[in-house]
Amino acid sequence: MKLVVAIVKPFKLDEVKETLREMGVQGLTTTEVEGFGRQRGHTEVYRGAEYQVDFVPKVKVEVVCDDDQVDQIIEAIVKAARTGKIGDGKIWVTPAEQVIRIRTGEMGPDAL
Amino acid sequence: MSVRPASVARLLDELRALDRAYSAGHHGRWSAARRAELVDACLRDLLAEVGSSNGVALVAQGGYGRSELAPGSDIDLLILHPGADPDGVAALAERVLYPLWDAGLTVGHAVRTPDECLAIAAERLDAATAMLDGRHVSGDPATWPRVRDRLVAGIRRDPRGFAGRLRDDARERRERHGSVSWLLEPELKEGAGGLRDVHSLGWLSAAVADEPGLAGLVRAAVLRGAERASVEAAWEFLVRVRSALHLETGRATDRLFLDQQPSIARAMGFEDEPGLRAVDGLMRAVFEHARQVEHVRRLVFGRFLRAGSEAPEVEPTAEGVLSAFARVAREGVVMPAAELDGVEAAELPVAIAWTEEVREAFLRILREGERGVRALEAMDRIGLLVRLVPEWGPVRCRPQRDPYHRYTVDVHLLQALAAMAELLEGRDRAEPMVAEAAAAVHDRDALLLGALFHDIGKTGEGSHVPIGARMALAAFDRMGLPDGTRGLASFLVSEHLLLSDTATRRDLADDDLVLDVAARVGTPERLAALYLLTVADAAATGPAAWTPWRATLIRELVAKVQRVLERGEMGAETAERLTERADALRELLAGIEPAEVDRFLLRMPRSYFLTIPLERIVEHHPLVSAPIGAVEVRTLAGPGSRPGTYGLTVVAADRPGLLSLIAGALSLAGLSILTAQVFTTEDGAAVDLFEVEGAFEHEVREERWREFRNVLRRAIEGRLSLEHRVEEKRRRYPAPKVHTPVEVTVDNVASDFFTVVEVGAPDRIGLLFDVTRTLAELHLDVHLAKVATYAGRVIDVFYVRDELGRKVEEDPQVDEIRRALGARAVA
Repeated sequence: MKLVVAIVKPFKLDEVKETLREMGVQGLTTTEVEGFGRQRGHTEVYRGAEYQVDFVPKVKVEVVCDDDQVDQIIEAIVKAARTGKIGDGKIWVTPAEQVIRIRTGEMGPDAL
Repeated sequence: MSVRPASVARLLDELRALDRAYSAGHHGRWSAARRAELVDACLRDLLAEVGSSNGVALVAQGGYGRSELAPGSDIDLLILHPGADPDGVAALAERVLYPLWDAGLTVGHAVRTPDECLAIAAERLDAATAMLDGRHVSGDPATWPRVRDRLVAGIRRDPRGFAGRLRDDARERRERHGSVSWLLEPELKEGAGGLRDVHSLGWLSAAVADEPGLAGLVRAAVLRGAERASVEAAWEFLVRVRSALHLETGRATDRLFLDQQPSIARAMGFEDEPGLRAVDGLMRAVFEHARQVEHVRRLVFGRFLRAGSEAPEVEPTAEGVLSAFARVAREGVVMPAAELDGVEAAELPVAIAWTEEVREAFLRILREGERGVRALEAMDRIGLLVRLVPEWGPVRCRPQRDPYHRYTVDVHLLQALAAMAELLEGRDRAEPMVAEAAAAVHDRDALLLGALFHDIGKTGEGSHVPIGARMALAAFDRMGLPDGTRGLASFLVSEHLLLSDTATRRDLADDDLVLDVAARVGTPERLAALYLLTVADAAATGPAAWTPWRATLIRELVAKVQRVLERGEMGAETAERLTERADALRELLAGIEPAEVDRFLLRMPRSYFLTIPLERIVEHHPLVSAPIGAVEVRTLAGPGSRPGTYGLTVVAADRPGLLSLIAGALSLAGLSILTAQVFTTEDGAAVDLFEVEGAFEHEVREERWREFRNVLRRAIEGRLSLEHRVEEKRRRYPAPKVHTPVEVTVDNVASDFFTVVEVGAPDRIGLLFDVTRTLAELHLDVHLAKVATYAGRVIDVFYVRDELGRKVEEDPQVDEIRRALGARAVA
């Protein structure tokens, strides 16, 4: 099993969620996160007042899936979250050693 | 195992029978008293079986002492003894208590001498109050009354000190358990407005009156008759809910969890109504009662602890009553009982008319912020607020079940008002941009009214924003507000979700999105007002609503919209013009399906609709409506703005360098470019408009247009080198005679979305081609271009971004643009 983590633009969350749901992904977790990559922070100016924005708001999407689904999920996220502009985000995949459904105690792929 | 005594067996049977005798929702104070009676009888029997009590008395204390035993309540017992025979007492306690414990009853007990009772009462408030509710059950009858008298006498020596301790305890409980008057999972016993608050009124009466309970407080003139009735009603109701909760869960839990609410609502007879589900009806009733308890408790303690202040006469008119509340708001005090009596005696009409004086007093209350909210709450508790603002009725005590909101709708509105007042006072320095926004709004009453009414449409029926906008407007009209205040306040109600919805769900890098928001907002003052409301609304919603994440996005949007408004790219007038033009276009395109026209309006950039004549837009529609292929080119030529010039429209899939290909093809086809405007649609099609003239002859014939199309197509397909051809052509002609210098500026201030590159140069063959080719070479994407020719000199303006959609802000790159364009644009 794998954990797919994607950092995407906030306004792309709905599209990502829809695409994943359509391809049968049963569950995912989202978190509001802030950070920076190549798209650095910037200075915001309003009516003469300036303040520094160090981190850019993004959404983190996490999906645990079976090994054979990984490529399909990555492809779907890329397709849904891409604008072609700076700050579209990143996806990374790590192994998930074990998954347990708390309610039933099911383990492994059964718990997905 | 010991045999269960008959008395205990009987008790268990009778308790079970009592539980079954009524439905879970109908165990009120009568049942609770009955339960205590059954326990009393059992204890008497048990003590009798033990034999001689030897000066020992069994005293019921706490809830058992008050005869208020819910199904899961502890039985709180005091074993009072003279102190001579500790071992005998211990043995006696065991013989009384063990059968009860063995039967599974929760019995708490204390074994004390009279002196120990008084010592612990002095030390611990909970012990003192438990004993204040004490009641002799069995055994020696003389000791307990003497202990109680000494206890009360001790309290009477410093009644204010005791009241102060009760008040501090209430404050602590509120902090630990929250409030029963708005929490979705309230702690019915310990929470503010819960049963403990009711009990604390009873304890206070020990300090102030000879008569116990609420009647004593009425006698002492710190509790009014109407208030007593509302507390009694709340008491009964809360005991019922708590008992139902114990019976439904089979546990002694006092927190009303969401899971239990449906079954308890059913048990208590709540049913789904239009706009209010049964569970919400239950919670609304819980909130309503707890709110009265909270309110009366605060009033009573306030009156007692701050006794002696003069109660001014209340003029028995709406004006007089409102002024009285405006005064307590200004002074931040609790209204004295006599004054409140005066207010309630003032027989105001069911619907109060808004005279100028009433309106002014109401606005004065709002301007007091937090203190004004206390006054509005007091007005609400005596039913005055709904008579003033009938729209308030449906949102009162209305629970909100979503992940963000913690409060009922009306509490949220009052919190938003308080938060807004705080923002305007400038106390919150932590929030960037708030001070600047507050300085930009002149009509503060409108901000306060907007905050107070923004969610007034949450009536349980339909979408709350349009409903709220209508309701608020009706209320504002009744108030007779000045036009400006009315306009800004109702704008705030209608648009209060605009910033947060747009900022979190839409692409803030989209310039047209920002223009659209600017068009809806119209002016910098309205934008500032909306930002303040967004902050106040979030602050009043709960900690989850105003995260740094959300705040950053909203501020980015506000700053961008502000700059668009400042630069005049959009504003109230422009927005109006845009709407007018959209309407005119819908009429001109009447033959086409309205949905298709709307799609067209959304796809094209706002600047396109603002600058291009309507009749040309109508001509463009068929050109851009169908999806365009990768190498497809659509053109349309017609007469230009003056004789001898031609208007040419080119539509193609946008690609790097497309503009240079078109410019080159025009040059080769013998067409001079006078002006050019470049637009990009939402879905990446380039719509480029040129004003051209024949370089060699006055009339441009069809074969020239055909040549242009052929050259362009071949260039797009890579079958023709424009660079080579244009250069060849240029060498055949003399250089221009005008010798003005080439000027290149790169501006990053003019737009939030684009770097603006301006090139001024003497006109010559292939100039636009060279300039745009250079931009393409530097991987700059031209989003908007304006090309104009004045007497042999060309001024080209390009709005560009790099291939990742960024402005070009790094110095080396800016320098490179300047140098490259400067070199290429020379003759």
